[in-house]
Amino acid sequence: MGRNQRRSHNILITGATDGIGLLLAKAYAARGHQILATGRRSVADDEAFFGTPSITYVTADQSDPEHAAQTITSTLSELGWKELDLVVLNGAVGWVGPPEEESTGKISEQIDINFKAPVHFALALSPLLFQAKGRLVFIGSSAITKGRGGFATYCATKAALDGLVRSLAEEWRGRASVSILHPGPTRTEMLRKAGVDPGWKRLLFTAPKRVVKAIQVSIRRGEQRRILSRFFCFRCRFTWFQEGRL
Amino acid sequence: MKALVTGAAKGLGRALTEELLQRGYEVIAADVETERLEDLGIAHGGACSIRFADMSNTSSVLRLLDSVDGVKFDLVVLNAGVSATGKFEEIPTFAYDKLIDINLRAPIVLASSLVRLQAMAKGGKIVFVSSLSHAMGYPGASVYSASKDGLAQYAKSVRKPFKKAGVRVLTVFPGPMVTEQAEKHAPPGSSAEKRMAPEKMARIILAASRRRSRELYPGYRAYAAMLLGKTFPTLATRLMRKGIFDKLDGPVY
Repeated sequence: MGRNQRRSHNILITGATDGIGLLLAKAYAARGHQILATGRRSVADDEAFFGTPSITYVTADQSDPEHAAQTITSTLSELGWKELDLVVLNGAVGWVGPPEEESTGKISEQIDINFKAPVHFALALSPLLFQAKGRLVFIGSSAITKGRGGFATYCATKAALDGLVRSLAEEWRGRASVSILHPGPTRTEMLRKAGVDPGWKRLLFTAPKRVVKAIQVSIRRGEQRRILSRFFCFRCRFTWFQEGRL
Repeated sequence: MKALVTGAAKGLGRALTEELLQRGYEVIAADVETERLEDLGIAHGGACSIRFADMSNTSSVLRLLDSVDGVKFDLVVLNAGVSATGKFEEIPTFAYDKLIDINLRAPIVLASSLVRLQAMAKGGKIVFVSSLSHAMGYPGASVYSASKDGLAQYAKSVRKPFKKAGVRVLTVFPGPMVTEQAEKHAPPGSSAEKRMAPEKMARIILAASRRRSRELYPGYRAYAAMLLGKTFPTLATRLMRKGIFDKLDGPVY
């Protein structure tokens, strides 16, 4: 397969009903790839929701990682996909507030959705990834660059993913590539879902479209780890001429 | 002076409990294997009280908190941890679930609850036991090292907010020790000579817990490994692969 030749890839994206996941799924679908999108919400009509027939959606609630992983693997076999070229584990939730006020339920929820579920998915999807020498991409958060008192557990789960990638990339070297991209604050609904309104500060956040572009560029370049700073996202506006494989 | 040690039955937790008892602390020692702590209870009388706590189970962790209601701790060592070694895809999911619950969820729940319930004395210290793998990476125990990275990040995040509540935080990154757990997870044929005795580790940790240290890489070997891991992260992880992952026999969990 030549570098500039396009072929349709099989792509799995989690957390694709909103924000970065949704835009990423649409962007890859527009490039002619086949997408399996997952999320917590139930979607009545895939084609009407995503606006393209190449995205299949399945409800997989990550707060029950075992069940979600089973749902995904059974859907993959229904679709007849024998290999996966790209998996983007993007689904996550947050909670904002002082760490001592964080309830046990919220702590468990974040650990299950942001850390346990990706581990389960990586485990369940590894045979299909090895088949295609595919790429497993985790979406982290640039919050891990320093201590964040306001969302300590969220930050811990993202740092855990960062550590996982470091070791797993070395373990899987030659069989499948593993990487993590850490977007900064993005103008998505995540904070609102976590029960916080960033107010005017939202204007400082990067536009999701630009973050998705930056993610795509990083994936295309095969970077193992990248903090997607505002500058990097900005630079990605000028990379339209790169026709890569993905 | 009152202290709480989790995972106190063996290894580093046991050494810490013994050392604290010798220094005259009243210690609440929590573990699943309470029968292995009975001799300490007998030897030290009322100073050592033993509690059953299964860190993989949230309700058991909350029961432990209920049972220490009203106590003001000067020192809490969140030491309980397990590992799972082998190829990532050869270890079953239930082992990973348990590992994440014990290594990451339990210490987070305990630390946040202790501060919320004001169970820490003024100037009290919470010690998170992470791992040297935080600096080096650990192919062959990727989820273990991930959970320890998560814990290290949590400790870093809560340092400031907890300080406002009068609680200080120390993160320890111990290297390999001569313990049952290390024996179980080390690659076959590896020598125990370069590993540290848990008793020595306990003394270093307690000394640091009295200082204002925030992070501790105990021993010069761990410190050197940290410097290597921070300056040449890829090389360090590759060395860990050569030294450990390539020599592993099969999954141990």
